[in-house]
Amino acid sequence: MNAELRARVLAAAAAETSPTCSDLRRRNLMIGLVAAASGLGAFVIFAALMSEGHLLRLGGEVAPHQYLERPVGLVATSVGGALVVAATAVWLALRRGRSMLGRSRRRLLFGAALIPISLLAWKVGCSIAFGASMVAWPERPGERCLALSLFVAAGPLLSFLAIRRSAPVQPALNGAVIGFAAGAVAWVAADLWCPIAYVPHVLLGHVLPLGVLAGVGALLGRALLAPRSR
Amino acid sequence: MAIPDLDGADAAMERYARGDAAAFADVYDAIAPRLLVLLRKATRDASAAEDLMQQTLLHMHRARGSFIPGAPVMPWACAIARRLVADSARRRRVEQRVFSEAPADDDRMTYDPVAATAAADDLLHAHRLAGRMQQRIEALPELQRNAYRLLRQEGLSLKRAAEVLGTTVSAVKLRAHRASVALRAALREAEELV
Repeated sequence: MNAELRARVLAAAAAETSPTCSDLRRRNLMIGLVAAASGLGAFVIFAALMSEGHLLRLGGEVAPHQYLERPVGLVATSVGGALVVAATAVWLALRRGRSMLGRSRRRLLFGAALIPISLLAWKVGCSIAFGASMVAWPERPGERCLALSLFVAAGPLLSFLAIRRSAPVQPALNGAVIGFAAGAVAWVAADLWCPIAYVPHVLLGHVLPLGVLAGVGALLGRALLAPRSR
Repeated sequence: MAIPDLDGADAAMERYARGDAAAFADVYDAIAPRLLVLLRKATRDASAAEDLMQQTLLHMHRARGSFIPGAPVMPWACAIARRLVADSARRRRVEQRVFSEAPADDDRMTYDPVAATAAADDLLHAHRLAGRMQQRIEALPELQRNAYRLLRQEGLSLKRAAEVLGTTVSAVKLRAHRASVALRAALREAEELV
């Protein structure tokens, strides 16, 4: 084995500082806090601009003399379930299991498919179970929820990519799952804010941003997570 | 010199991740020889292989804090090396396109003092055959080529190769089998021509 090459590699590594496990844990904790703060901050700003600072909305006038109301129990159940799905999605996106190569392609694809399906099914299922009307709100097709979701998810998306740092295998797919996880976090905020469970509205305003974020995550994952030669 | 075992590399990487700076030399000694073989086969260029090996190890050095205790090091190193090879090949292609350089001369016959004692015809035949086989390996679909290289040339187990390629064991088996069938056919064809 080439002794000169060995000396060169060891010297190059010694010259470049790199974080140890404990350094990285602290750093990731900080990034996690930044992600939470940025998501929450974005949600508060959006609510201040769009609904006079109301983070929780229980209904509104769907049409002249027609009101939509959702009970607090429905909000708690719906948001609670969404929180569980979001936490699972973040765990799936950031934890790599027992291998440095991360989770298998099949598991990632399965998780990526399951996140939007379970969020949608939970929201619609809760609304049906609580007997809440799923009427259309013509003035609210879903573009505001779409904007809210993308606005809230931007910070967590970048933070999750920074925490993941590298994915030598399937960086695009890992990035897409990170996008879904950021979208699931934003779903919780959108679920608090939006009283509408009308399916076309939910598909446009709540599910579509998950797809958009997964696409952006895939592009960013390919660009940022794959090791690059210098 | 005996190559240290890979379990030793896993333990050394764990120590390095926790902050034991001296453990990086043990990681190097355990994985560098294997990595270099893999990279030489992939690049067919000794200096490029050394450069990519250095980059792979530096990438591992930068990511040491994210090392999962108990995880095997070699599949990780192979996956990084594979990415770097693909990226550097892509970079080279772009540079060639940008500077409109002619493709490099493919005449790789070099003086080999051991082979020089063999009959010239045999040497020429062996060289042509090796060249043809290498061309056929390069011409294989990427999925088959990668599976074949990891299993047959790098000697990884099916499970490890599946992890590196991000697929299932049966898919790796199938890809490697198809590659072997294609290469056997190419070998028969080449021998019939002689």
